[in-house]
Amino acid sequence: MAELKVKGITIVETFAEAFPMVGTRIIITAPTAEWADIAARTMTGFATSVIACGAEAGIESKLSKKETPDGRPGVAVLLFTMNADKLQTQLRNRVGQCVLTSPGSACFAGLEGEKKLKLGASLRFFGDGWQMSKVVGGRRYWRIPVMDGEFLCEEKTGMTKKAVGGGNLLVLGKSHKAVLAACTRAVKAIGDVPGVITPFPGGIVRSGSKVGSKYKGQIASTNDAYCPSLKGAVKTELPLGVEAVMEIVIDGLTFDAIHEAMYEGIHAIAHGGAREGVTHITAGNYGGNLGPHHFHLKEIVG
Amino acid sequence: MSALTFELKAKPDQRLDLSPLTPERLAKLSRKDIEALSIGTTRAKRTVGDTFKIKGKDVENIHFVGTDARCDKIGAGLAGGEITVEGHAGAELGARMKKGKITVKGSCGVLAGASMSGGHIAIGRDAGDQACGVATGDTMGMKGGFVTIGGHAGALLGERMRRGLVVVGGHAGDYAGGRMIAGILVLKRGAGRYAGYGNRRGSLIFMDKPKNILPTYSDCGVMEFDYLRLLELWLREQGTRITLKGRARRLMGDMAVLGKGEMLILA
Repeated sequence: MAELKVKGITIVETFAEAFPMVGTRIIITAPTAEWADIAARTMTGFATSVIACGAEAGIESKLSKKETPDGRPGVAVLLFTMNADKLQTQLRNRVGQCVLTSPGSACFAGLEGEKKLKLGASLRFFGDGWQMSKVVGGRRYWRIPVMDGEFLCEEKTGMTKKAVGGGNLLVLGKSHKAVLAACTRAVKAIGDVPGVITPFPGGIVRSGSKVGSKYKGQIASTNDAYCPSLKGAVKTELPLGVEAVMEIVIDGLTFDAIHEAMYEGIHAIAHGGAREGVTHITAGNYGGNLGPHHFHLKEIVG
Repeated sequence: MSALTFELKAKPDQRLDLSPLTPERLAKLSRKDIEALSIGTTRAKRTVGDTFKIKGKDVENIHFVGTDARCDKIGAGLAGGEITVEGHAGAELGARMKKGKITVKGSCGVLAGASMSGGHIAIGRDAGDQACGVATGDTMGMKGGFVTIGGHAGALLGERMRRGLVVVGGHAGDYAGGRMIAGILVLKRGAGRYAGYGNRRGSLIFMDKPKNILPTYSDCGVMEFDYLRLLELWLREQGTRITLKGRARRLMGDMAVLGKGEMLILA
């Protein structure tokens, strides 16, 4: 391990390997910020990894009344998948089951994008013929009658093919408490960066995986090289004193957004210094042969 | 580059057809060619040069100064650019226009914005009958775009309108939204008789309860409409001062036809 240090924490000279994804942004509004948050959390639930969830999603930011199209409190949500068809399906299902159903909600496009995805254009059929479309300022909105009034939903939202998924940071430390505190701080800092989400619970993954398994049909399994309890049994990547490792996975609408998020993340982790108990910051990759996007920690810190 | 300005020399002795004076049609013409354009509507020949004093060069920004109610078809078929009328306009202002902006400081005649499909018309004072209605030879009224009328509107406002948004600061005449197919009319000071007659899917938004409501409209009660908030914010962004809030009484109609249109009366 090369010795680049920030506040006594070793920054391993390696890179995070990330993949192209397709992504979209929608804006959810509601009568109160709490209800906008509930709708957004429900929609982005069970969306940690495309491996089994079908999509990766998260809350990008909370929006004030001044920032939303209808002047109500809102939330910006990002949704990512590996291709446009899956993104369309996930968007329709998640908005249809989680936002349309949420009291007082409305849903708007949050991205112009090079291609369009159906939003209200498919959900309108829930109106059973009573739905009504209105064009305001060149944008079409659907008014779908529901039991608490109307669900207002923009017809389409934009999609980008320039999204990147799998930016990551691995944080090594002398105690579980120290690593968790540092990662929590980093997720909070990354939360202020526009265009990115950290899709795992609270933004943190404690069960990083490797590709494949000894068991047939298991496509991913525990990353044994980073499991502290296996240090003596496998070809470990961990120094003996490391007690816990956590990972922050970052998906973003652009390469630059992830680059900025990783910069903010690393500096937030290092804020407590080595005294707090964090020893190393590293990143996960597959040797550079699988993902076209490489985020070199040395360049990011520099 | 200063705006291409047409200043009326004297009150015209006949109605004028000013439809040739749009950015698209003037783009490749010299000053001499422009002056030679025929704008008369009777057997007595009348050219632009006879009628207007011309100044400026920017064809994308056309000004009419001193015009009156005999100056018809200003901005008719406009496909881009901006036209400002410092005076009044005659019939068919911006009829069949597709894009661009027309601003009229004064009033205009019949059929303003008739069968237009895009762009913005801002009329400072009153509009005549059939504003945003059906242009001669067309089957549908306004098909898109945005029209603001600062004063009153005549009868048959938005007749057979298909899409688009019209905001009337004053009172609208009889049959406002008559046979409307879709689209939105915002009426700040109500309308005359038979508003929404034959309305299929259009929205008539009243700031105050109208005096006459057709019996073929069914009351759905008062509720919240997020759509009104969206509309209010968008209108404010366009510089139209309006307060719609979000709570309104909904009446569905015209039940004599499809019945999926509505009157929203702000509560």
